[in-house]
Amino acid sequence: MYRAAARPSSRRDTALFAGCVALSLLLLFIPTAWTGAFADSARETALRPVLWLQRRGAEGRTSRARLEAALATRDSAVMAASAAEAAAHENERLRALLDLRSRAPLAFLTAEVLHQPLPTDGRTLLLGVGTGDGAAQFQPVIAAEGLVGVIGRVGPTTSVVTTWAHPEFRASAVTENGEVLGIVAPVAGGDPGLGLLEFRGVAYRDTVPDHSVVVTSGLGGVYPRGLPIGRILGVRREELGWERVYRLIPFVNLGVVGQVLLLHPPEAEAALHRDSLP
Amino acid sequence: MTRGRKTGWPLWLVLVLLALLHFYVRPRFYGGRGAPDFLLLALLIVSLRSRPGVAALTGFFIGLLTDALTPVRIGAGAFSHTVVAYLAAWGRSVFFPDNVLVNGVVFAAGTFVRNLLLLLALDFSGTSVLNAFAPNTLLQIVTTALAGAVVTLGLRPTKVDLRFEP
Repeated sequence: MYRAAARPSSRRDTALFAGCVALSLLLLFIPTAWTGAFADSARETALRPVLWLQRRGAEGRTSRARLEAALATRDSAVMAASAAEAAAHENERLRALLDLRSRAPLAFLTAEVLHQPLPTDGRTLLLGVGTGDGAAQFQPVIAAEGLVGVIGRVGPTTSVVTTWAHPEFRASAVTENGEVLGIVAPVAGGDPGLGLLEFRGVAYRDTVPDHSVVVTSGLGGVYPRGLPIGRILGVRREELGWERVYRLIPFVNLGVVGQVLLLHPPEAEAALHRDSLP
Repeated sequence: MTRGRKTGWPLWLVLVLLALLHFYVRPRFYGGRGAPDFLLLALLIVSLRSRPGVAALTGFFIGLLTDALTPVRIGAGAFSHTVVAYLAAWGRSVFFPDNVLVNGVVFAAGTFVRNLLLLLALDFSGTSVLNAFAPNTLLQIVTTALAGAVVTLGLRPTKVDLRFEP
């Protein structure tokens, strides 16, 4: 049997409550760079043991599914590999004829997603890899279905992905056939619960058919070209007769994504270095 | 301070068990957004048995912890958890916290208010209110309330006394 308090709230309690609320509101208005550094250090010190525990738990859940997926992929790969060698030789020969250099393969790093039971989980995702594993800021993050986002902050053992649902997410994109270029961003003022994106900046003269696939364009040096983002679902709005904004259904469901790949884009890095002053 | 240590489990053991459920068991079986929030459950259990000031302070620190784990905007979690913990502690004089059903309703209401305040702190608009009624969010309210009722029921036969009085 619990005893209810005779005086539910004293002046000291009210002062403590007001102090905590004031401090919370102050934190809300402090620049993200400062508060982000605090979050990074908290994850790498006080929260490190519990995050280690969560990573073990997440790995335990996905290990069986990963084994089944790996076996299925291996079987498919064996079939595909029989024809791939001839195609690769042919591709190299054609590139040589056109005087094109070979496409550098993308290196990647796998990571477990450590989901948190909060409604804001999905705007950012916590990954169980950090600089110690080879993760770095601004690395593109993908899942099997397509683009997830980009590494926003990274610590020694964990990193935070700014996903496509984050209000600050932007990606230069193009339709799969390469005809229409635009910018992909989260729906402004819409319902993020519906999980939709916008394909903005499409010239009024261009029309994108429904169900067209939109991929990253490779412009900007963060995302390599060709990462699938989503599928067009009609016109969302028109801006004063000079721009159309299309609705886009993303391929990746952030609520259930369990494992992701962090890409090391050598082509993008090389391009950036070429433009640098000697 | 806790009383009744001779007959029941100490409060810290219950909290450690909930932390284990949150950080190991939950991701081991289901990592989706509808999963119960055992950390919030632990906060509400502490709040229902402590003074409002202590509850607010505990809520503030638990909120900072959740902010560090989902760093969309630091301070949003601290604010929402502080308010929910304070309201739960203050409300214990209004309702009778020994009843399992009442506990379940308190856990459900606490989860809903926390989610609503968290979303409003990020974006003060009608969209945030709508998001508080999203299917995953409502599912989490139900699962957290059920988990809370199970914890309350499971603890009852052992006569665990979780009073937390300064």
